[in-house]
Amino acid sequence: MTDPIDDNTDELAGQYVLGTLTQGERRRVALALPHEPALRAAVEAWEARLLPLAALAEPVELPARLWPRIEAALGGARKGAPAAARVKWWERLNVWRALAATGFAAALLLAVVPRLEAPEAAPRYMVVLAAPGNMAPGWIVQADRAGGLKLVPLGTTAVPADKTLQLWTRADGWKGPVSLGLVQPGRAAEVALASLPPLQPNQLFEITLEPKGGSPLARPTGPILYIGRAVRML
Amino acid sequence: MNAPTDFDYDAALLACSRGDQGALRSIYDRDGRRLLGVALRIVRRRQVAEDVLHDAFLAIWTRSRSFDPARGAGRGWIYSIVRHQALDVVRAGAREVQTDEESLDNLGADTAAGADAGLVDAFERRQDMGRLHDCLVGLDASKRASILYAYVDGCSHAEIAARMQSPLGTIKAWIKRGLTALKECMA
Repeated sequence: MTDPIDDNTDELAGQYVLGTLTQGERRRVALALPHEPALRAAVEAWEARLLPLAALAEPVELPARLWPRIEAALGGARKGAPAAARVKWWERLNVWRALAATGFAAALLLAVVPRLEAPEAAPRYMVVLAAPGNMAPGWIVQADRAGGLKLVPLGTTAVPADKTLQLWTRADGWKGPVSLGLVQPGRAAEVALASLPPLQPNQLFEITLEPKGGSPLARPTGPILYIGRAVRML
Repeated sequence: MNAPTDFDYDAALLACSRGDQGALRSIYDRDGRRLLGVALRIVRRRQVAEDVLHDAFLAIWTRSRSFDPARGAGRGWIYSIVRHQALDVVRAGAREVQTDEESLDNLGADTAAGADAGLVDAFERRQDMGRLHDCLVGLDASKRASILYAYVDGCSHAEIAARMQSPLGTIKAWIKRGLTALKECMA
């Protein structure tokens, strides 16, 4: 951290780390962090300064049920697990709890779930794309068995007139993200995987803010607005 | 903090970004109890704190790719995700229209918050915070308490004002000046 940091940036960073910004201010800082190095440096410095205070919170015994919940939500193979009674994925997946916890109305879920219920249309993978700073979910990607992807908005995204949203994906072992095309804010879209290999567990999806017409390069150039990984479903 | 430093948080996060669930588990085993404690202080309800930790570990997993080991401080990165997850929950909750049941729960939580007056004393007894401790002790008691209430208990300006029975504007000024003084002292 060698760049001088101006007082306003530093105060904003300090209050962000301390937790005294309003929710709106906190979100703006979180969204700005990936593409404002001075702000990020200031935040990191404050995190380092104040971290010792975390020791003032007494440790709390972890309940045995918590890690299995986390692991299940990661979508990993549960080795050695008995062929459990088939649980519907939306009951098993803790994604919905995450959505509810971040303030999403149950009505939205009701609008989505019935469509997924039909067995022949049951998707094999699902991705919740959330804002990097606060995990507020913004989009869901559903993959059907035929390999088609559907991008479903959970709300609208404010996009400046000279910018556009672009969807990207990257699986483990790929050199870099591959564009899946431009995305209209607040609008569902079918996404063609074209010549890409089938979805893999843990495959990364992200929506970035790019210049109008899309990234000028073969990779993202703007900030990540939403990001998530593919979760395998039964 | 009083944790041994022989655990390589940066390497664990890098392994997470490559899809190694064992690395995430090692972070959980290593710091889960402390992180649950941090979340519980902020959200004040056990079940909510567990949900926060759950969501935070998913966030650590998902966002590990954006962690830059060149900048280091993996441990701080992990704690900040948990704290912000907890803050999101309490701040979002404050704006929701609550059902009767939730309001009752929150009443209980507010009463419990009254018992947190011991935080400042607990801070003063600590010997393991190095320079931060010295610098905070050097602040006025009111500024010190405001900063502790904000960081440890996740209090908003308004909640600190209520706890300290001081006007909101005064609390904002204390925190602003307190942070400036703290930064100068630790430079």
